[in-house]
Amino acid sequence: MARVLKGLAVISICALGLTACAKTDEPGGAQTPGRQTGPVKIGISLPLTGDFSEPGKGIQEGYQVWADQVNAKGGLLGRKVELIFRDDASDPNRVSSDYESLITQDKVNLVFGPFSSRLVIPAAKVAESYNMVFVEPAGAAKEVFEQGFKRLFYAAPAIASDHYNYLADYILKLPADQKPKTAAYASLDDPFAQGTAYGLRDKLAAAGIKTVVDEVYPPETTDFAPIAAKIAAAKPDIVVGGTQFEDSVGLVRALQELKVQPKLAAFSTGPTLAEFPAAVKGAVEHIISPVGWSATATFTGNQEMVKRYKEMFGGEANEDAANGYTVGQIVEAAVTAVKCVDPTKECQDKLADHIRQGTFDTVVGPLSFDDQGRPEQAHMIQQYVDGKVQIVLPESAKTADIVYPKKEW
Amino acid sequence: MSLLLQGLALGVLTGGLYALLASGLSLYFGVMRVVMVAHPAFLFLGAYLTYTVHTVFGLDPFLALPVTVPLFFVLGVAVQRLLIARLAPENLAMMSVLLTFGIALTIEGLLGTFYTGSYKSVSMEYATRSLTVAGVHLPYDKIIAFWVAAITLVVLFAVLVKSRFGQSLRATIQHREAARLVGIHTERVAGYGFGVGLATAAVGGTVLALITPFFPASHWVWIGKLMAIIVVGGLGSVIGAALAAVLLGVVEGLVLVTVDATWATMMFYVFLFLALLVRPQGFFGGRLAHRF
Amino acid sequence: MRIASRGLPLLVAALAIAYPFLVPNFYLVYAGALTVMYAAMATSWNLLGGFTGYVSLGHSAFFGLGAYGTGLLVVRAGVPWVVALLASALLVTVFAVVVGIAAVRVRGASFVIVSIALVSMMNLVVQGWRSLTGGSTGLQVPSPFPDLHRGQTHMVFFYLFLALLALALASWWYVSRSRFGAGLRAIREDEDKAESLGVPTAAYKVTAFALSALFVALAGGLYAVWFGSLDPIFVFSILIGSYMVLMSLLGGVRHLFGPLLGALIVAPAGEYFLIALGETQIHLTATGLVLVLVVLFMPDGILARLTRRRAGPSIPDETAEQRLQGVAQ
Repeated sequence: MARVLKGLAVISICALGLTACAKTDEPGGAQTPGRQTGPVKIGISLPLTGDFSEPGKGIQEGYQVWADQVNAKGGLLGRKVELIFRDDASDPNRVSSDYESLITQDKVNLVFGPFSSRLVIPAAKVAESYNMVFVEPAGAAKEVFEQGFKRLFYAAPAIASDHYNYLADYILKLPADQKPKTAAYASLDDPFAQGTAYGLRDKLAAAGIKTVVDEVYPPETTDFAPIAAKIAAAKPDIVVGGTQFEDSVGLVRALQELKVQPKLAAFSTGPTLAEFPAAVKGAVEHIISPVGWSATATFTGNQEMVKRYKEMFGGEANEDAANGYTVGQIVEAAVTAVKCVDPTKECQDKLADHIRQGTFDTVVGPLSFDDQGRPEQAHMIQQYVDGKVQIVLPESAKTADIVYPKKEW
Repeated sequence: MSLLLQGLALGVLTGGLYALLASGLSLYFGVMRVVMVAHPAFLFLGAYLTYTVHTVFGLDPFLALPVTVPLFFVLGVAVQRLLIARLAPENLAMMSVLLTFGIALTIEGLLGTFYTGSYKSVSMEYATRSLTVAGVHLPYDKIIAFWVAAITLVVLFAVLVKSRFGQSLRATIQHREAARLVGIHTERVAGYGFGVGLATAAVGGTVLALITPFFPASHWVWIGKLMAIIVVGGLGSVIGAALAAVLLGVVEGLVLVTVDATWATMMFYVFLFLALLVRPQGFFGGRLAHRF
Repeated sequence: MRIASRGLPLLVAALAIAYPFLVPNFYLVYAGALTVMYAAMATSWNLLGGFTGYVSLGHSAFFGLGAYGTGLLVVRAGVPWVVALLASALLVTVFAVVVGIAAVRVRGASFVIVSIALVSMMNLVVQGWRSLTGGSTGLQVPSPFPDLHRGQTHMVFFYLFLALLALALASWWYVSRSRFGAGLRAIREDEDKAESLGVPTAAYKVTAFALSALFVALAGGLYAVWFGSLDPIFVFSILIGSYMVLMSLLGGVRHLFGPLLGALIVAPAGEYFLIALGETQIHLTATGLVLVLVVLFMPDGILARLTRRRAGPSIPDETAEQRLQGVAQ
């Protein structure tokens, strides 16, 4: 027993002694001069496995293309960029612990955001409490911007509920005899997917287009035929899906099987992915989708990114990769402007202030942010025309004319 | 009214598929009294193999079956003989769940490593068309799924009832000790039983690949549903599971068209708890279930 | 020898108390708090699993309900967090009694299925009941200590989870020495015989089920106020439930400190797999294989392997008859 007590005493003395010096190395603490010359470490947690793993991959590739190009140009403030990825396995516990360890243990200079609205809020909480600027590529749901975050910025043209704005304008301006009278909405139970569909629903409903079906299905849904049956029974003029990939394919197939022939069919996310046309075959024609990025656009750095992406990963760049790349561009511009890249509160404050006030040239066009970090631009509308993705709205960016009503699928 | 008919028709077709997917689970439980949590993971392993056959060799998805069915049979025998049979009999039920849970994670991880986490799908021309009978649309892919399930189940029943192997298998299911006394190699039979169960997963996987896109973590969704089906049907009863599958498929279809998807999924668990409260041995026979 | 067996737990306790001061950064405090949380949950899982042999893969249902109960009381009703935590744990316990009455009617495989179904059901309810819970948008719970720095909050919760762990360990220890515990062990060995000898098996099982749910709910409630973001698909996750089982099993379900030991191994190992093999999904395979190997080769856990002697209070190997005599006395 005596030995134990002695051990206890030793431990408590050690503990007291260590308390003073143990955790001074948090961000904002002492700076080691050696770090100013090492690489700029950027910490990122992404869902490389689990439910959201596919878009996570695209964003990772976007980050890598950006880092590759920055390093080819000589780095950030003359220092090489080094990306540190962690897999969060689509789990918020892991997201938090990843950012916690990246910030306090790896002592990264900057952090970039993870994927999915569901993971962005816990991640942003960590970054915020360590005073880190948090530019993120995927948290578009409106709730993300209602948490009082001061250093969060969404690096895409618009938040989820504004994705369909151009389409809503187009529909409402149609002559009375062409204007749809009824609309059916089916949405995945997910803050982003619902945000997109409901943004459009609210605008159309306010203008008198009747909502005849408004269906929400949980993420584990695999059978869409009964949902399509409900839509078929209501015979809507237009069908809008608040979807991700799997369910957009399921819905399109089921709507075809149930012989629903709307004048317009719009789905979020799914149709912007390269796998979509193969998965739904011929039905792809005239499907509409909001998109924040176009491979053919000539915005700053876009063509270079598309080219470099192809060299590095073989395939065609997608919207997720572009969003990741955009994060890099914004942070790069801010770092270059304020000339610091330390994890200190002082430097991160400067970066955040700069991002809040500036307008940034990116691959998705010029971006600026409001006080809550919401981007203030708009998503474009894409449509499959003759089997190819074309930008149809807005007028200024279009590569083809919108086809309405759509051909039967 | 036509909406209800439509829901009913879809429910019957889906229920047929559920019957196929759950039949393997009933077999495992019958021969070994184990709950095979990895069954859905094997289903998706089958789906991925079908995908490979279809995309790499350009063959019809069903041509994957001559490869996958024997392969899965051997895998099933191996899982039973090398893994399950090693577990101590006194808490086999519990340990087998954990063992097969580990197998499911292993498969998911391997699928994710080889095929990446992205969605895969097998789209055939017929997958988007449907047959219209009296205003009710019957999708061809679901009709195909239903008939493949029906044929597989008929073959399965024929094997169980007619063949010598089937007789020994049923004897093993009904009373293991007695079966051993009359000279049946119950260990070997149990192994084959597992093999047959897993072979149904190969067929089920191919059908799943036809009707839905999938990714490595897809199997989680199916665990709860299929478990509910075999409990409602009476653990260990293949026929009970088939009937319960159609019943739950219809209930799901009707609730989907009248209420919503959350309640439709909830119905599986409502029926599960109802079954346990009212008839713990399941609604359709399965007298051996009560004590396990 | 006696000093070793008595002194070791004390030494570990002392180390645990000193831990937040010993580690170099707040991430390790955070990881430590998570590990202690898992240890507390695994120990309370073992109140059911270890004594009765009933394997529940669905204890994350109670974790999630405890978390959402606490979060909702704080956010929607404005109740102080301590009151919310206790009230929600109490409600979950009552709920567990009701569920337990249905669930423990079945044994073995059926029970496991019921436990899995419970998690899926709760997930559907909480996700579907959007107006109350916020559904898939999640529930944001304000921090109870707004003035503390993030790292300091981690330290506070490290000690709160440690206290919960101590409470769970004490309960297990107390039950293991009680008549109630002897009755539960008899259920594990031979339920029918126990029943025929007058052990009120149903009541005992429901009590163990509820008691075990109580501590898991407390852990969930603490998690809610600590973590601050709740999302149905993540708190009602079968994986969280299966971690409790894996930890208990690995450490040894018949030993007081088994689940704790398991948690100390599994949580850091999971972290390691994810960082070392994190670029691909092969880390899932690694976890799965570990589970398979434990079940096949060490079903009684490390503690049973390492020491044939009793390392702390444990459930001795004895026949059902011996055990029933203990009950009858």
